[in-house]
Amino acid sequence: MSQFKDTMVKISENEFYKKWLRIAWPYLTGAILLSLFQIVTLATTGNPWGVSGVFANWGAWIYEAFGGNVDKWYYFSSPGAQTTLNNGFINDSGTWRNIGIILGALLAVLLASQFKLKKLKSTKQVIAAVLGGTLMGYGARIAFGCNIGALFSGIASLSLSGWVFGAAMFIGAVIGSKLLVKFFM
Amino acid sequence: MKEVILDCFGEACPIPLVKAQNKIKELEIGDILIVQIDHSCAMKNVPDWAREDGHNVEVEEIDDGEWEVIIEKVK
Repeated sequence: MSQFKDTMVKISENEFYKKWLRIAWPYLTGAILLSLFQIVTLATTGNPWGVSGVFANWGAWIYEAFGGNVDKWYYFSSPGAQTTLNNGFINDSGTWRNIGIILGALLAVLLASQFKLKKLKSTKQVIAAVLGGTLMGYGARIAFGCNIGALFSGIASLSLSGWVFGAAMFIGAVIGSKLLVKFFM
Repeated sequence: MKEVILDCFGEACPIPLVKAQNKIKELEIGDILIVQIDHSCAMKNVPDWAREDGHNVEVEEIDDGEWEVIIEKVK
């Protein structure tokens, strides 16, 4: 037992453990990995990487599970969207990618020994989070993409729309920060 | 010389940074500001800002996923 404990202490002191799992990787490393994996995504699934569109599909599947129908909704009316919905939750590559992101983030924080359930600080914080999340989700849908699908994948595909989205997102972030500091701090 | 603790547990970016920036203005040179955070990106932007501003900075891990950024105001 004491030997086991010694090994555990040594792992937390190990240089490789610290470098690879504990200390956050540099931005450049992240940027290179994101670029590589988005190429893999495009090559294997035939679509550029996107995140938030999948959540809209999850919403549609949940709504359908409770007996709802989104066939007549403009957003889901295209043949492509209908095919994705009809193929179902478990056959959607984006679904698995998003689940992978969530589980991967959990694994990373557990390996770094930095997992913590955070307390809600105030009702104000809850209102800000719900309001912000709703605005971001709605904005991403009317822009046909979020900072991944529209910005990152857009620019990577040499599309002008990615740059337009980036400029608009920057303005939105400036206004959002000002509102955050003014009303929610 | 006084020591001020700023409780930012449960706060997400950029709130810990903005709170720390506001608080340090109220302090005298030589005072210590301890920013308590549990949001890992605040562990990057709070020390980055404080160092760039010329203060002495140290980060201490106090528990799993909890840190204290200790800032000594030097100017």
